[in-house]
Amino acid sequence: MTVAIWVDISFWVFAVAAILTGWRVFETDSMVRASFLLLLSFLNVGAILLLLTAEYLGFALLFMMAVEMVAMALFMVMFMMNPAGLNPMEMVHQKPAAMIAGVLTFTGVSVVAVFGEFPNRPVRAGGGSTRELGLELLGDSMMVFESAGVALLATMIGAIVLALRTGRFGAADEDSVPPPIRPEDSHDDA
Amino acid sequence: MSAVASWALEVAAVVLMLGVGAYAATVLESAIARIGAGVSPGPTLLLAPLRKAAWLAKQQTVRTERPDVIGWMVATAGLLPLAALAASLIPLSSTWVMADFESGIVLWGAVEALIIVVVFLRGWSPNSTFSLIGGYRFVIQAFSYTLLSMFVLIAAALPAQSLSIQQMVVTQQGLPNLVKQPLGLPLWIVIIVGVSFRGPLNLPDGRDLAGGTSVESSGWDRLLWEAGRAPLLVVFSAMGATIFLGGWLGPWLPGPVWVAVKTLVVLLLALVVAQALGRFRPESFVEMAWTVLLPVGFIHLFQAGVTALP
Repeated sequence: MTVAIWVDISFWVFAVAAILTGWRVFETDSMVRASFLLLLSFLNVGAILLLLTAEYLGFALLFMMAVEMVAMALFMVMFMMNPAGLNPMEMVHQKPAAMIAGVLTFTGVSVVAVFGEFPNRPVRAGGGSTRELGLELLGDSMMVFESAGVALLATMIGAIVLALRTGRFGAADEDSVPPPIRPEDSHDDA
Repeated sequence: MSAVASWALEVAAVVLMLGVGAYAATVLESAIARIGAGVSPGPTLLLAPLRKAAWLAKQQTVRTERPDVIGWMVATAGLLPLAALAASLIPLSSTWVMADFESGIVLWGAVEALIIVVVFLRGWSPNSTFSLIGGYRFVIQAFSYTLLSMFVLIAAALPAQSLSIQQMVVTQQGLPNLVKQPLGLPLWIVIIVGVSFRGPLNLPDGRDLAGGTSVESSGWDRLLWEAGRAPLLVVFSAMGATIFLGGWLGPWLPGPVWVAVKTLVVLLLALVVAQALGRFRPESFVEMAWTVLLPVGFIHLFQAGVTALP
């Protein structure tokens, strides 16, 4: 009995925290703060997944979101010409369209949550849910999925190497210059 | 033993690992630095961390102009709980793990990822240039070693056929992973030095940035940060001991003692490596991580996989 009550209390605490921090994402005035508030929201969702004993999913959510939010904050700052995200700026735009999309999404998700039928298949006692989850998600396509993963990673690294200043034009710390856009242009007269 | 008593004992073990371990690591680090410089490490070193802590505690805490106060506080105070969470995942005997999860190494990965958040936030929050550069540097440094660290952890999980850290220890009963996966420990040393940003990988708080993310930090703020950073070194060494040296496995002595001894060995290795190498430039470390270490990680993963095949 006591455990169930604590699970219920924790659920509501995490749920309220997830919604509050999610709301703050749109109210704050900095992209970096917005990213980390969104991360806080996700951390609370991860905790709820743990309460559902979806251990792997909960931990994976923490892991993925922490890395992604740092990357997101960094790239947004790099692309937005806002010095390090320190200048205040509004986090919302295209409000009417966003409101319509928000209401539609919320209604859709709520309808599924309230009226959807969820399977009732308890995890077998003793063993955890990770193995079942893996088989359920990937099944026979495990090998294909893994190969695609490795290929994607190799592609990513290849793209980075090509995009690097060090990739084709020498080492970054050796005063390297990219080749001219037109062959007849030369750097010598620059 | 009652549940409360065993829980109290587990908490005590984590506190011991963080407190005593981190203190010992700090003393060892300066001792190795002195030996490296040809100076004999005198007994004054034993009290040096305490003296520095007392000095920091008395010092005024300086604030910058328009910092993100909440972010700054969360970041500074965040490192120690993360180290504690990681410490609670280390198995100390066949029955003694504070947090025994079936996907323990995924949580370990989450801790590594949250460390990136904390260090970046600490660099960003004070609204200060050098500090911000330090934060940015740590992100690129961490992104460069995190993938490698995942490879090493996955490789160690392969023979166990499980994501549970305890299971990874148990399957080293015959032969430790150090022998089965010889590339693992050297790669993990890079990760220990990188996560705790020391020596060659002290890019975020380096002297070339006048202290980096700590440039605006003084007093209690600085003390809390260093108190979170030193345990990272110990906890990640303990993980290295667990996944490569068989953790608590060993004859005669009880499990926790074996964990302590093996952790000390890995810690010393990491400290000597950190002492021997000069600080990398950010570009050269990133280049090395993606073009040399990551391919080595691939080879390691492949070799570990082939070895683990029945």
